[in-house]
Amino acid sequence: MTDAVAVPLPAEPDWQRLHPGTLALEVLRLGPRALNFVPAIAALGITGNWTYIVPALGLFLLFSLGIQFLRWWRFRYRMADEAFVIESGLFARRHTTLPFDRIQDVSIEQGVFARLLGLAKVDFDTGAAKAKNRGDRGNALDSIALDQAESLREAIRARRAGLAAPTAAVPADGTAAVAAAPQPADDPLLFALSPRRLFTLGLFNFSLAALAVFAGAAQQFDDFLPFDLYDVDGWARGAEGLGVDDWLFTHRWLAVFATLVILLGVGFATGIVRTAIRDWDFRLTRTPTGLRRTRGLTTRTDVVVPRRRVSAAIVASGWIRRRFGWHDLRLQSLASDGDKERDHIVVPFGTLDEVDPVLADLAMARPGADADWSRAHASEALPALLLALAPILLAVIALLLGQPAGLLALLAVPPIIVGALVGIRRHRWAVVGNTLYIERGFWTPRLILLPTASIQSADVRIGPLMRRFGMARILFGVPGGSGFSAHEIAGIAAPTAYALRDMLVARRAAAHGG
Amino acid sequence: MTQSSSASGDAPGIAPATNDAPDNALRPLEPQYSHVMRISLALLWGPIAIGACIFDLTVVRTAGGPWGLLSVVAVLGAMLAVVILPSRKYARWGYAMLADRLRIARGYLFHVDTVVPFVRVQHIDVGQGPVERAFGLSHLIVHTAGTHNSTVTLPGLASADAAAMRDTIRKQIQTDFA
Repeated sequence: MTDAVAVPLPAEPDWQRLHPGTLALEVLRLGPRALNFVPAIAALGITGNWTYIVPALGLFLLFSLGIQFLRWWRFRYRMADEAFVIESGLFARRHTTLPFDRIQDVSIEQGVFARLLGLAKVDFDTGAAKAKNRGDRGNALDSIALDQAESLREAIRARRAGLAAPTAAVPADGTAAVAAAPQPADDPLLFALSPRRLFTLGLFNFSLAALAVFAGAAQQFDDFLPFDLYDVDGWARGAEGLGVDDWLFTHRWLAVFATLVILLGVGFATGIVRTAIRDWDFRLTRTPTGLRRTRGLTTRTDVVVPRRRVSAAIVASGWIRRRFGWHDLRLQSLASDGDKERDHIVVPFGTLDEVDPVLADLAMARPGADADWSRAHASEALPALLLALAPILLAVIALLLGQPAGLLALLAVPPIIVGALVGIRRHRWAVVGNTLYIERGFWTPRLILLPTASIQSADVRIGPLMRRFGMARILFGVPGGSGFSAHEIAGIAAPTAYALRDMLVARRAAAHGG
Repeated sequence: MTQSSSASGDAPGIAPATNDAPDNALRPLEPQYSHVMRISLALLWGPIAIGACIFDLTVVRTAGGPWGLLSVVAVLGAMLAVVILPSRKYARWGYAMLADRLRIARGYLFHVDTVVPFVRVQHIDVGQGPVERAFGLSHLIVHTAGTHNSTVTLPGLASADAAAMRDTIRKQIQTDFA
């Protein structure tokens, strides 16, 4: 365990600095950034000034380190009475105040190097959008000692709960507070991924991304290879030289089969490895304010989704997974779950029996068998069917241009048609109590649980095509989720759409006594 | 809600007929807004049309292509945008300030009818562009917490009306979002 460090600044004993180990982490992070220097190295090399390259690299490293040191020096934070205060910035000073009642919760993230050093990055979830540009580091403490991070989280939770927390809430050594605070293991466990379940999920996450990486690398670096990768005759001659060409020819179906097996193996292996890295030791526990999820092998993240801030829940699946009964549960809220996914996945791979208790904890439930479902009108499949014309058009153009390979585009047509027709049959909705349920999708079937209290706005849209059939769509503005996938009811008759929308909005308004 | 005769037909004038109860009838925007739209479109398409004409008369002519075609198309397009479109678009806007919500309808080909309940408004602005200022108009910008429709704009309001609407809505905001 590293020495706990609180470098008190004179005359203001409450201020604390980040752990000096942060500098070591920044050095490691410099690695990818050194790519910025490659053009300079290339220029130096081309002009023949080889001797300057090493000093130039050294200067670059020193300069970067110097900036990081100054940044570390100028960063300080403290817990005031009502708020958490952060001061940062080299030239443009930034004084951030986070009132405790605006901090939804504190999330802790540890990269692989940070874990080796015993450090953690602490992020405050205020329900605001994440920092948009890379230069803006947001309100994060990157990094402090892990035990300090955990005691900081407990201290903030205690402050929010209004308990009389000790004023020296972030003790210098951190050990006393940690012993008193409830450990993560004390929270009731709602869901966990066993290694076997993780393996199965990895199988379902079949991914040929490794092939894409290989193809990209081949394209970039094939000039550096001693032989020509694309010279088919060269490969044939090589096979003759080794004496295997006859064998390969007589057993060519075996070769094709072996290739397929290798591809499948690579795909499954990639899926398993990626899933293991992301979802290792996935645990979902119940905390007083929300659901806490920890997961990750190399980077361990620890995030709490506040119960009050959950605006919608989605029970999703895949067209094969559904046959086996596997679903996943995601929650939408204003806070987004990292850069890649906006929705928090709280149950990545589970049966409906495992999803229901988590939903119950959020005071939500899947619709019962007696729900009054309305189905989408079949005409809504038309736009999707029209989309199927695009590959056909592509194939025709390719044929006219004399490229028979364009016929491959026709392969895309059956999935689109099936997805459209079956998807529209699956699309249905129901209003039960204060929740709107929407089911849709064939390739990725999903059930959306939308409490009417989450509806911020509702559009009724009538497009030129659907106008012919008197059909409309309703789009709901809901906090969270991505801008491209607003919750939508499609294939609903226009008068019904207006009526449904007004009913939902009135219900929402009545819930607030407005 | 009374059923309308046909949701796919549209009443000439304000917005496509819907199953509105009489108190949900939509009001049109201020008539001068069509002029505002016209001037804004002219300011946008005028330079583009002029640029296209210049390009046509110089580059295309020297390159030996069918010069004159682009100029005609550009001028016709600009005239279409400036003379005909604004009044048609104006006719398709409508709004209603109900007791507890704001309703805005616009468009015909792609008809969009938005409802924002007052209690879920995050905050509300009144804005005025330079062209709007010349006609004494303003626009209302309603911010909600949803990702879709995070801002909803209602243009073409008389400035006094816009301020009054803003104050009415502001009183009813009960958002509990931190």
